[in-house]
Amino acid sequence: MRRACLLIGLIVFILGCGNQNEHLAKGKELIKSDKRRKEERAVREFKLAIDIENNNAEAHYLLGFYDSQEYYDINQSDWNNASIAKRGQHMYKAYQEDPSEYLEILIFDTLRDDDVNVQNAALEALTLVYQQGDRKQLLKQLEKAIKSNDNRDRHDAHWVMANIGKSDPSTIVPLLIELLKHKQMGTRLNVVKALGEIGSEDAIPVLATIIDSGSAKRQSDREEPEVRQLAVAALGKIGGKAVPELVKITQNKGSSLRVDAIRALSTLGDEKAVQPLLDALEEKSSREVVVNFQN
Amino acid sequence: MHRYIPIILYFVSLLLILGCENTYYDDYTKMEVQQLDKDLENRWSTSGVIVKNVTQNGPANKADLLEGELISYIIGEYPINSSADFKRAIKKAIAKDNNLLLYIKEKPPIRIAIRQMGDKVGIEVDDKNTVQIKHIIPGTPASNNPDIKVGDIIDKIEDERKIFSLSDYKDSITEFAKMNTEVKFRTSELIGVKIASITALGNLGDARAVNPLIDILENNPELSLRKSAVKSLEKLVILSGLNPLFTIYREQNVNQLPVDSLDLKLRESAEILGLIMIDPIAKTATLEAPFGIQFRRRSDQLYKQVNDGELVEVAEKHIQLSTEPDQEIRRACLSIIGILKPETSIQPLINVLIDNNEIPGIRFQAGLGLSRIGNPSVDSLILVYHEADDAGKDIIVSSLGTIGGQIARDFLIKTLESTDDPAIQLTLVDAIAKIGDRPSLIALERQRDRFQEDDSAIRIFLDEVFNSLSLHNTNETPN
Repeated sequence: MRRACLLIGLIVFILGCGNQNEHLAKGKELIKSDKRRKEERAVREFKLAIDIENNNAEAHYLLGFYDSQEYYDINQSDWNNASIAKRGQHMYKAYQEDPSEYLEILIFDTLRDDDVNVQNAALEALTLVYQQGDRKQLLKQLEKAIKSNDNRDRHDAHWVMANIGKSDPSTIVPLLIELLKHKQMGTRLNVVKALGEIGSEDAIPVLATIIDSGSAKRQSDREEPEVRQLAVAALGKIGGKAVPELVKITQNKGSSLRVDAIRALSTLGDEKAVQPLLDALEEKSSREVVVNFQN
Repeated sequence: MHRYIPIILYFVSLLLILGCENTYYDDYTKMEVQQLDKDLENRWSTSGVIVKNVTQNGPANKADLLEGELISYIIGEYPINSSADFKRAIKKAIAKDNNLLLYIKEKPPIRIAIRQMGDKVGIEVDDKNTVQIKHIIPGTPASNNPDIKVGDIIDKIEDERKIFSLSDYKDSITEFAKMNTEVKFRTSELIGVKIASITALGNLGDARAVNPLIDILENNPELSLRKSAVKSLEKLVILSGLNPLFTIYREQNVNQLPVDSLDLKLRESAEILGLIMIDPIAKTATLEAPFGIQFRRRSDQLYKQVNDGELVEVAEKHIQLSTEPDQEIRRACLSIIGILKPETSIQPLINVLIDNNEIPGIRFQAGLGLSRIGNPSVDSLILVYHEADDAGKDIIVSSLGTIGGQIARDFLIKTLESTDDPAIQLTLVDAIAKIGDRPSLIALERQRDRFQEDDSAIRIFLDEVFNSLSLHNTNETPN
């Protein structure tokens, strides 16, 4: 009798599970189909799947991925629920349910999507991971992405790191500075970009060192021109205490980055740039000079 | 053999390290030169070495060579005292770049270029007392130059060497120093740096930039610099126009004000130029840091500098085709005058407007400038109407219509009633309709009666004018 009850219970459980996933399966099928308004209809199914099984990681992820405010009237409550923040929360919930799988999906797949809203929702989710989830694992994956051979991964990682770094520069900036030693130029390029976007003045010395390396005596000590050029642009984004560094570049007459520095100063609009720029105008024009060795 | 390996390695690494050096102290001229950044070499077709340090009282210092100058050419001389000197000099001078400068007594220097290494220059010389041309080989570069003649006395040969790297510099200076007591350097200007500086100075809105920019516009031989300078001056004039807005911030000593307390047009310009940030929800206009906050302090100075008269005088000069051949500069100067609206510019603007050698767009812009000056321009516009060509008449009528007022209106009506030229009639109707007061409408009614039986363009246009006026009135009547 006891065995029979257990068997019946198991059958009910299996059937129940089948019912719970039915909406999810239907939603996924709709996405694959070429039906009209397939995403909008799939979203309805994902919502039902979550209603039945609130901890279904896949349903949360897919809802975060496909939901859109375009499907609702602005007065509907669903309109608010389809905001980027809410979609990010669904993606984060998927991560909570299955951290190892969804962390990788978010970084290496979702961020790569063509839809900016999907990218922004993934950023929201990853920011939540940083704030509430396994921060160490997240940073490890982001490091892996920024060191990747694929430019899209490097770009996405720089974007996430820059955004997280804006609210927590004391953790992210040192990490990025360490990554500047990486052998791959593409990685260093993205790190420099991220440092500029974070806008932390702590990055100024390291950016200045990169820029100065252009006049290093040995070729091996010189950073690539593209990275140095971006480092100047990064100083321009940081502004404030970076202005004297930009002025210094403007005054280095052998530097290839003078024009870049002048442009950055022009955008910043800081009056400290005026005198060095006036001095640049005073520089001698083309001329011929006779030098007598016996003088 | 193995025992030599460390020695070989030592020399190889020494060579590599020396090869990678990017500075060189030149003992002949007593200055240190620096290789250009590799990435700079491909920008703006630049090449050469930069003067890094000049030793006090050394030859370079005495010749006034300055730190930061870019040496693009080294020019050395080969004195010619014998036919052997001549042969050697020719060989050396063409060795690097296939060309040389030949100096013949009492003639200007002649540049000779051969097509490829091994080709002959084509001059044979005799050396009795002087080195004289005895034969010119037919079919050579020398034979193609009519200035080179048998019997000419050769003075010297000059070798211009373009410098691409530090080693080019080292080789050339060493070679020339062995033969001569002096050498000539040709320096190049980094135009890109100057253009960027000029543009930045325009954006920064500082009064100190006004006079140096005027100086470039007036005196610099480089057109690209003059164009950049005038555009930056235009930008400074626009920024100076924001002074009334920044005066409010300055007087109240605040960085934030309610949006409604500020002039709409000025605050929109300030926002576009990145000086203020408008919060539509909080309805505040906040000065951006650092640009807006710093500009609050110095907008007054810029305003005074821009309006002190010198800039207007320069702009008036450069709107004339006879003084300024570049149309971009003429346009920018017209724009400056259009913003500053000085009455002194009326006559110069009239001169542009009636100049039938000027392009129509610029003449029209001059008319626009006069419209902006407004009433004081009316008499001058009326005065030149009859001596202007058709295009000029059109612009004058249009300007008078924009300015409006009794004198302009009466003149336009009188002209319309006395002209039979259909082209100008249309512009006159349009200008009178633009004034749109009662006497104007009565005058237009009279014209409608005059062309009652006519299906000409003027009649159709008059009907359209009255239709739009009645539509306009219907829209306004409910109150």
